[in-house]
Amino acid sequence: MKLVTQEAIDGGIDPIEIIERGLTSGIAEVGAKFERMEAYLTDMMMSADAMKAGMSIVLTKVPRAKIRAKGAVVLGTVKGDIHEIGKNILSALMTAAGVDVLDVGSDVPASVFAQKAEEAGAIIIGASALMTTTLPGQKDIVDYLNSTGKRGKHSLLVGGGPTTPQWAEEIGADAYSETATEGVKLALRELERRRKEAN
Amino acid sequence: MITYLDVLKGIHTGKICPEREFDLRVFAPKLKEALKACDIRYDPNDPIPADDGLADDLWKAAKDFYCDVGTYCLDTERVVKFGENEIAQTLKTAPREFTFGEGKERKTLSQRKPEDQTPPWCWLGAVGAAVSSEANLLSLVRGYAEIPVIDSLTSPALTSVDGARIVGGSPLEIYGAIRAVGLARQALIRAGKPGLPIMNCISTASSAIATIAASQPQFGLRPSDGWLCGTIAEMKVDYGVLSKGAYLLSWGANVCSETGPVLGGYAGGPEGTALVNTAYNILGTVIQKASYQLAFPIHYKFGCTTDRKILWGISLSSQAITRNSRLPLFVVGIAASGPMTEMVLYETAASVITAVASGAHIEGAGVCKNTHVDHFTPMEPGFAAEVAYAATGINRTFANELVRTLLSRYEEKLNNPPLGKKYQECYNVETGKPSEEYLRLYSKIKTELEDLGLEFKY
Repeated sequence: MKLVTQEAIDGGIDPIEIIERGLTSGIAEVGAKFERMEAYLTDMMMSADAMKAGMSIVLTKVPRAKIRAKGAVVLGTVKGDIHEIGKNILSALMTAAGVDVLDVGSDVPASVFAQKAEEAGAIIIGASALMTTTLPGQKDIVDYLNSTGKRGKHSLLVGGGPTTPQWAEEIGADAYSETATEGVKLALRELERRRKEAN
Repeated sequence: MITYLDVLKGIHTGKICPEREFDLRVFAPKLKEALKACDIRYDPNDPIPADDGLADDLWKAAKDFYCDVGTYCLDTERVVKFGENEIAQTLKTAPREFTFGEGKERKTLSQRKPEDQTPPWCWLGAVGAAVSSEANLLSLVRGYAEIPVIDSLTSPALTSVDGARIVGGSPLEIYGAIRAVGLARQALIRAGKPGLPIMNCISTASSAIATIAASQPQFGLRPSDGWLCGTIAEMKVDYGVLSKGAYLLSWGANVCSETGPVLGGYAGGPEGTALVNTAYNILGTVIQKASYQLAFPIHYKFGCTTDRKILWGISLSSQAITRNSRLPLFVVGIAASGPMTEMVLYETAASVITAVASGAHIEGAGVCKNTHVDHFTPMEPGFAAEVAYAATGINRTFANELVRTLLSRYEEKLNNPPLGKKYQECYNVETGKPSEEYLRLYSKIKTELEDLGLEFKY
């Protein structure tokens, strides 16, 4: 992908066009195929890798300020929980939707979610839990952000098998999604809301 | 023969490989190669295929795939692999029979075959779903124990101990695990089945330390129960699961290889899910030295095992495994819908008929995606057992017709299934008896199945 992107640049194509009509629309197509179950997680992950490789070339030619970024999201599975597939699907779909995703992996303590979100300038923290006994890890993130005075800076999106809208409300999360597709929609809506708020 | 010590050494000497590289550069391309080689195609018209050759081709492809890919250890970031001959010899010399339970409830488990005339082992209960109170746990387990053909229990999990919420991996998990197993055994004693094996030990414990702590016999468990050791999707293990194994195998306990390939995830589509599910059975024998495999291929979006593609994958992989492997296979049914709905009984019936006709034993009945607290009752596993006995010995062609009809009655609702009611809303918790409304619903669906030609044994 690096080679193809370099060829496009050398061929005089506008870097913004390479991003919007090449890399972004390409990965969006893979995302659409995933939705139709014509492509699967590994296809999405490889596409995300390819896009990142292409972006690393284009970004040397265009100032970041010119790129219409949708915003950054930190995603991970909470402390004590090693289940990753749902989170990985969400990560790939968000990348396909043009979101800048920082995946912090699984078994992640609340402080790491907060620290990585701060470092990446992430508006949204997405926290997944797949077991009833690891749900409290999502509440730990709310508590940690509250205790450090950073709660207002980040929106918390929670999901995973045992998560419910009632649980999200109980712990003070900002949003709950049952599926990865819904999670992407919620994230895009929230990023747009925050962007308008900031302007 | 590959020993457990060989495995434990292998995770420190195998080839180093970053996890993402294993997923994308080893697992994914090898899976594509294996699928291309065996040329297996999903057919939506036949959720239960009836082709022995297809099943055997899948087994061979899964064995080649497993030999190529190996098992990934997350903690050491290494791939443990063994030679084709070593694997073949290990599979050929693995034990065939495993004994569970004590006293009158002691029983031997072995592999069934597709269309087998022997009823499946009925491992019944909550499939590890969570309850809100100890009273509910006691009442539910008593209800499960009263199911006439129950062979072993799948116990619910607690969410709190004396008001303290259980947090996975924390000391509270150890308290919760000890409390949950004590209550389950107490309920079995009250029901007059003290020796009944609990085969999902320990539902409240996810960590190795909690499992090992709560395994002490004074809390109510024995080596003759069954001990869940969950693999990690896909084809991965970690220190936690291997540590459980090191302890349990030294104790002479029955290890369960718990495997849940995700349709839409790394395993890909229905064909990939079927192949990976089959390969897991080999992993269970080679790596985990298991006494049984618990398979639950699951849909990434619907969170259940009752979707048409999943049922096809379950059926074909179950046929591949039960025709070729010594490691007994259980298939767990997880319905998307909840208690007191027609849909939950349709889903349960479809899942059980698929498993039984394809040679598997059953664990049932997971309902409400196994994720909603208190949303399960003894009615669904009781119904699952009745269907399992009725489906024993039927041929795959008839099973296919039945499942197609059942799918037509629920599959459009999988995207937004009814959650139904909680245990305490459809049962009397004190007496353990179902409401008239639920009994009427159960009778209605049972009659519908009889009209379709299923002959109930009781």
